[in-house]
Amino acid sequence: MISEDHSPIDRFAWITWELGIVVAGSSLVVLVAATLQLSFGAYPISPVAAWRTLLDPTVLLSGGAWNAFLFGGPVPAYETGTLVAWTIRLPRVLVGVLVGMNLAVSGAILQAVTRNELASPFVLGVSSGAGLAVLLTVVVFTGFLPYLPLFAAVGGGVAFLLVYGIAWQGGTSPVRLVLAGVIVSSVFGSVQTGLFLLLEDVGVIQSVVAWTTGSLVGADWAQVRMILPWTVVAVGAALLGSRQLNVLTLGERTASSLGMSVEHVRFGLSGVAVLAAAASVAAAGIVGFVGLVVPHIVRRLVGTDHKRLLIGCVFAGPALLTAADAGARLALNPAQIPVGIVTGLVGGPYFLYLMRKHRDFGGF
Amino acid sequence: MDDPTSGTDTDDESGSSLSTVSLTLEYPNGESPAVEGVSLTVDPGRLTALIGPNGSGKSTLLKGLSAQLEPAEGRTILDGRAVAAYDDTELARRLGILHQETEGMERLRVEELVAHGRYPYRRFLQRASEADIDAIERALSLTGIDRIRDRPLADLSGGQRRLAWLAMVLAQDTDILLLDEPTTFLDLRHQLAVMDVVRGLRDDAETTVVVVLHDIEQASRYADEIVVLSDGMVVSRGPPAEIITADLLAEVFGIEAIVETDSQGVRIRPVRPLSPPSDDTPP
Repeated sequence: MISEDHSPIDRFAWITWELGIVVAGSSLVVLVAATLQLSFGAYPISPVAAWRTLLDPTVLLSGGAWNAFLFGGPVPAYETGTLVAWTIRLPRVLVGVLVGMNLAVSGAILQAVTRNELASPFVLGVSSGAGLAVLLTVVVFTGFLPYLPLFAAVGGGVAFLLVYGIAWQGGTSPVRLVLAGVIVSSVFGSVQTGLFLLLEDVGVIQSVVAWTTGSLVGADWAQVRMILPWTVVAVGAALLGSRQLNVLTLGERTASSLGMSVEHVRFGLSGVAVLAAAASVAAAGIVGFVGLVVPHIVRRLVGTDHKRLLIGCVFAGPALLTAADAGARLALNPAQIPVGIVTGLVGGPYFLYLMRKHRDFGGF
Repeated sequence: MDDPTSGTDTDDESGSSLSTVSLTLEYPNGESPAVEGVSLTVDPGRLTALIGPNGSGKSTLLKGLSAQLEPAEGRTILDGRAVAAYDDTELARRLGILHQETEGMERLRVEELVAHGRYPYRRFLQRASEADIDAIERALSLTGIDRIRDRPLADLSGGQRRLAWLAMVLAQDTDILLLDEPTTFLDLRHQLAVMDVVRGLRDDAETTVVVVLHDIEQASRYADEIVVLSDGMVVSRGPPAEIITADLLAEVFGIEAIVETDSQGVRIRPVRPLSPPSDDTPP
């Protein structure tokens, strides 16, 4: 009964060499992108010097410096190169890593919850809902700025419920969800554009436009501080829920006959996905396609098991986003374009390719 | 209508007792109840087949038996307690269901699917236990899909796929098994394979099996007991050889047929339909 070459327990181990490759490859991409980001710019630093600065014990082991970075205290006096690397360029990379992680995990959860490979925070309206909430906070309710991620989460959650409600007819189908997402996104988009008209300062308008396409320009430790706690919560909760996600993808009826309270689990996990997406929107604006494409690529490499899939996403999401941001910084140097434009330019064609190649595309 | 509650006995020594008390089931948008006032005791440790024409409420009754559908009236009782009163996980350890449509999940490997059958046993964050592994291996070997355990579902034939889903339900290790048309759309070989697995479970593990079958001959061959449904009500029940008669086929299924009994069960040779399926006014 027991196969000879494997002990049965080993057969169910979840670490596979495919996952190892995804993790190692993604980490390498992040390191290369980070090196580029740290070296290029108005104040050039050589790659070697950049890494030497990052590993500089007077910063790395300094309580004062970390107090400044993580809690917003005063930054100790360092030479210019160190300051540029540590307070301008590194946080941008870190925000990119965290945003990519959140978006990829959020997309993976939403695809499982809706049993639909076309689902993503962008498609399901979460991004536009969170975006509108953020814009309203920035433009109208400026007093609530410290609660930005929370507002974004509420906006994203409302949009998600709207989309789900519109698509629901005793069940949802991939096509109906996507259509409902398009409807809600375009309505929210119109309101966003309308808000621009209330803005008078051209500089503000420009930064708001950059933000709606998703941009890491000017991201600093404040954004890291804002997004980090939510990322830890969302990624942790997603990993804890990986087995629920697996069973959920078997279909509502099978999940319930296996003893799962489907409604509770689906609601809870959707909440985690909305939180993750909203935190990334609050930090970097609306970066498209990451939440759609990353889970897709990772699933093709590591299979459908959600523990592997989510861990793959935790590494591959940052890889795509930091690479795209390095591209956004270098493509039209010295001008910088929003990272969302690069992810759109890369993600769109990839999706087109998938659509052409797989006829049954969209189902789980 | 004969007494549908004539189960063998109440306090049985083996298997679990599953019964319904004047169970009425409705769908939210249906005009008339899909199942109306059914009181039925399933014989523990035996194989009961539900048969009946399309729309007679077979699959709906199965949903009622498994608490998948909340009754409009009446209740389903498992070992003295209403199924609705069971905790979800607790019920899933007692009662396994193979649903009719099991689609998608193309990239899932067979053994991963089967492992999901252990969901009701594994607590939060707990790893697969020895018992989990044993149950998975047993389900794989019972259904004879050991060899294809590493293949993704997309690579399998319809019959193999059904066996894989059956194995998942078997890994649940329940003493009651509800199967909704497990053989429909399968080739003959896989029909026999599925039914032999089910019969083996009754014989070796004294599993109580309720199976919805489309094929009356198949039902008569494998079932200990046949329950005939028509318009949401039980019209007849008993051992196959006694129940399947030319009269029943005429009355319930609306066909004229010649019925013969042999060692394999009953043979049905359909002759002609008695009235057009849409029996409005004749032309």
